[in-house]
Amino acid sequence: MVLRVELAQIEVKVGRVEENLKKHLEILETTSADCVVFPELSLTGYILKDLIYETFKEVEEAVSRVAETSRCAVLGGIKEISPGILRNSAAVILNGQVNFVPKFYLPTYGLFEERRYFQRGNPLRDLRVFDFNGFKFGVLICEDAWHPEPVEALARLGAEAVFIPSASPMRRLGKSLGIEDQWTSLIKAHSLMNGVWIVFSNLVGPQDEEFFWGGSMVSSPLGEIRAKGKIMEEDRVVAEIDVEDVRRSRFFSSYRDHVREFHQLLSELD
Amino acid sequence: MHPYVRERLGLNYEMVDKYLVMRLRKYISDASARGGVIGLSGGVDSALTARLLTKATDNFFILVMPSKSTPKKDVEDAMELIREFKGENRYAYFEIDELVDKFSSLAKTEDKRVIGNVKARVRMVALYTFAQRLGYLVVGTGDKSELMLGYFTKYGDGGVDVLPIGDLYKTQVREMAKWEGLPESIYSKPSSPALWEGQTAESELGIRYEDVDSVLYLAFDEMRSEEQILSLTGLPSPVVRRVISLVKASQHKRMPPEIFRLSGRAINSDWRYPRHWS
Repeated sequence: MVLRVELAQIEVKVGRVEENLKKHLEILETTSADCVVFPELSLTGYILKDLIYETFKEVEEAVSRVAETSRCAVLGGIKEISPGILRNSAAVILNGQVNFVPKFYLPTYGLFEERRYFQRGNPLRDLRVFDFNGFKFGVLICEDAWHPEPVEALARLGAEAVFIPSASPMRRLGKSLGIEDQWTSLIKAHSLMNGVWIVFSNLVGPQDEEFFWGGSMVSSPLGEIRAKGKIMEEDRVVAEIDVEDVRRSRFFSSYRDHVREFHQLLSELD
Repeated sequence: MHPYVRERLGLNYEMVDKYLVMRLRKYISDASARGGVIGLSGGVDSALTARLLTKATDNFFILVMPSKSTPKKDVEDAMELIREFKGENRYAYFEIDELVDKFSSLAKTEDKRVIGNVKARVRMVALYTFAQRLGYLVVGTGDKSELMLGYFTKYGDGGVDVLPIGDLYKTQVREMAKWEGLPESIYSKPSSPALWEGQTAESELGIRYEDVDSVLYLAFDEMRSEEQILSLTGLPSPVVRRVISLVKASQHKRMPPEIFRLSGRAINSDWRYPRHWS
């Protein structure tokens, strides 16, 4: 089972959903892939700040417009789950159906202030594995990949690939791009530990004082970077991901040994 | 500079150059401006910023704004840079003494600090005059060391639209200027606002920029304690304390003016809107 995935590493305009939607539709019309993964909050922009209160209203309509044409796409948007309660979510579009997957870890430190605006998801209710043409994948958003459990939970729920729409701003540019080194380490480690494909699709370009660095990448279940987007420029990257690689990596790893007692212990710790 | 800090402040110049040029270009276009105006003093900050601006856009305009206290060598260096940037048709020579003297006589003061700030503010007015005439932005030249120390004039050289090198310490700016191929006379020149004759930044501050940057980096980027900074740098305690207190005392210069809250939604305190809000 092979899936061709496109990582749409795009620059979007903060708060301009209509303009951003147009870019999404152009990519979906011209893609050669089975499934297109856009970055986090790709319809709205990430550094929305208080513009969130007006921008979120346009998201659902934009998502429906995409659902009319696309068979498989993951877009970044905002879901109002009850009046005034917003979640930073990925809209997963499969054969005309739309599902929203919320972000579980909301960064609120340094430049990030997501808990000012968003409610986190509940993994017991919101974590899902999707099936497209027999290929099973889960979706997590950006900060969720900075913790071990979300990817592991999806893998143990049956995901063979984890799509990670992200909005990672440039930080620690010194002799190398520190944030790129960190993400590469995380992505490789998740793939290796869980024997899954990791598909990281990052925003690019400036938004307010921040600058998203791009560098979208696909890591095989053996932790090899199989495809890589440009740094600091828009890019479209297509990669083939194969369930056979999942099988091969798990034959020779201890992934099968799930020591549940660690999770029991973790559930009692802060 | 302590080897640890030197290592941590090392840069991939090529990537930083590409990044800053791209950001400046996008900032100008996102603001729907046609280009950028910059004041060129002959010092390293404005030389590096001007280099980045000339890479970002052909629509640059340079002002050379000397006063009586500007060393002749600075003006010569600025003119040499203009030639290097092929800006012979994109600059103006704007002497500020007449305007400054008018302020001095109207305000009945010759206090060098007051007049020094008038010079910086007159330059700001000149930059905005040209910027508006041309539909350009004012590109500021402050670096991270100066911004943190508050070593700038509020609404003078601090009155700008964007600060492209505002996250690079002075020592990094010098290294970057060297990498950019700017003349040695520029990047090895002692830093000076030249607001009065003989003024140099390091003599006024009483500390070398290598040491200033070490303390700033350790205290604010790495959030180290005073004890750790003392043992890492070997600097005397009063020097470390002075740098830290300059940063704290100048916080007001880096902030918008305080608004006294009355309503349920006050502008500075409650608002978080992006700069480009449309």
